[in-house]
Amino acid sequence: MKLITALIFLITISSCTTVREYQKININDPDMVLSAQKIEKYETTFQTYREAAAGANGGKTGGGCGCN
Amino acid sequence: MVKRINLIIVLALFWVSNLIAQETSYQKKVLESTEVDILMSYYAQDGIHSSVAGGEGTEELTDYTSSIVISMPINNNDVLTIDVGISAYTSASSSNINPFDRSGASKGENEEEDEDEEEDDKRALVKGVDNGLASPWYASSGASESDVLVHGSANYSHSSEDRNTIVSGNIGFSTEYDYFSIGVGGSFTKLFNEKNTEISLRAQAYFDTWKSIYPTELDTYLLEGGLDADFFQGVTITGNPNYSPTNFAINSDEQRNSYSFSASFSQILTKSIQGSLFFDLVMQDGLLSTPYHRIYFADRPDSYIEDFQLADDNENLPDTRFKLPIGMRLNFYLNEMFVIRSYYRYYYDDWGITAHTASMELPIKIGSKFTAAPLYRFYTQTASDYFAPKETHLSSDEYYTSDYDLSEFDANQYGLSLKYTDIFTKAKIWKFGLKNVELRYNHYQRSNDLDADIVTLGIKFVN
Repeated sequence: MKLITALIFLITISSCTTVREYQKININDPDMVLSAQKIEKYETTFQTYREAAAGANGGKTGGGCGCN
Repeated sequence: MVKRINLIIVLALFWVSNLIAQETSYQKKVLESTEVDILMSYYAQDGIHSSVAGGEGTEELTDYTSSIVISMPINNNDVLTIDVGISAYTSASSSNINPFDRSGASKGENEEEDEDEEEDDKRALVKGVDNGLASPWYASSGASESDVLVHGSANYSHSSEDRNTIVSGNIGFSTEYDYFSIGVGGSFTKLFNEKNTEISLRAQAYFDTWKSIYPTELDTYLLEGGLDADFFQGVTITGNPNYSPTNFAINSDEQRNSYSFSASFSQILTKSIQGSLFFDLVMQDGLLSTPYHRIYFADRPDSYIEDFQLADDNENLPDTRFKLPIGMRLNFYLNEMFVIRSYYRYYYDDWGITAHTASMELPIKIGSKFTAAPLYRFYTQTASDYFAPKETHLSSDEYYTSDYDLSEFDANQYGLSLKYTDIFTKAKIWKFGLKNVELRYNHYQRSNDLDADIVTLGIKFVN
């Protein structure tokens, strides 16, 4: 939890810098997307079946299938 | 007079140019054109801890899945996404809900043999020789050997004119033989700080209904008169011949409801680094056990038909569960060739499980069209308070499961993704141009003897 708190703090204080639209060419690269990619959908599904933990990745958190 | 004419001409030109400017300045659409994603996957696993057989038995399973996701711009600001798919699986473990179909014991009719080869020496040693009799180590051939899952969902999103606010709603369903689910949800997203910061709130609910099926010896014993039932006639019960699963009861509640509330915070940190934090709060209630998972108690004598041990009860878990996963992503654009995608998640639930997940993916751009991405994921969890191996729980326990998905284990996953992208979409099929093709393979290995492989093919077309 300390690590999480430290990272939240780090991200918050780093937000002082504003990156302009014309400077976002690297940020807008398809591989930089901040969510699970569509092709990971079925990997996430089997992990939800085979592991107790789920969620916090923008996808399913449980329910909607016979899994946890 | 000439001056007046010149003035009129200048004013007219200004008016016309202004009119042209108005007509040509248009709002860029949220989604410029219809996108179609086709996903296909093949998944195969094998293990030795079948929860259907109470923690010891084959976990062999294969699954073929395909789905199509269509995203359509409705107008400049709105997008409708439809996702439909079908999944067909065969499961040796599930087939053993009724393990006696295979041998014909206990009124079974189908005598089709499972001809799968042994590949793993360890498993072969544990399984022993296939003599055609009912056994937790070999698939039966009853109706529960295979199933088909169909799912569909629709999501509608609306973006504000300045693209700083996004509101969306979704509805979906999935259905398989013993399980039906309806899901509804919505989200609200706000961007600010020149779209450097994004905060999103999401609520989702699933209303699921079991059509409970039980280990065949348990519900037959309870509903058809104990050992006088036809099922037990003409077969020999070895070990303890006075089989008596007195703990077992039919579920009175077949509903499972899941509610999740999620918040995410994303931030662009530099021109080449961005990260996000995810918080989920999940509450579940209803039938959270799986009705066909067997339990063998340490304090009950063992009874067998052929090589299959008859269950003392089925799994019994609390009817509420609270989960708290917290995750984060941090992505780095190193240079024109390398990107690093990293992810970490901490998970806690009130069944006694804590888990950590960490993964890293390294997309490597090879020329302008190809990307190769090796990836690694590590997962570890503690055991649930309610888990114990076969023949360990006592019949006086309140809750019990021998499902190794709830046991303590580590898991390593290795993979590689290969992607071809053509931003000009030169290759056409009907009106759609091929945008990219991605093939992804992953090998998954759990420390408690479960291995799995998954291959996924994704194809994206744009109109």
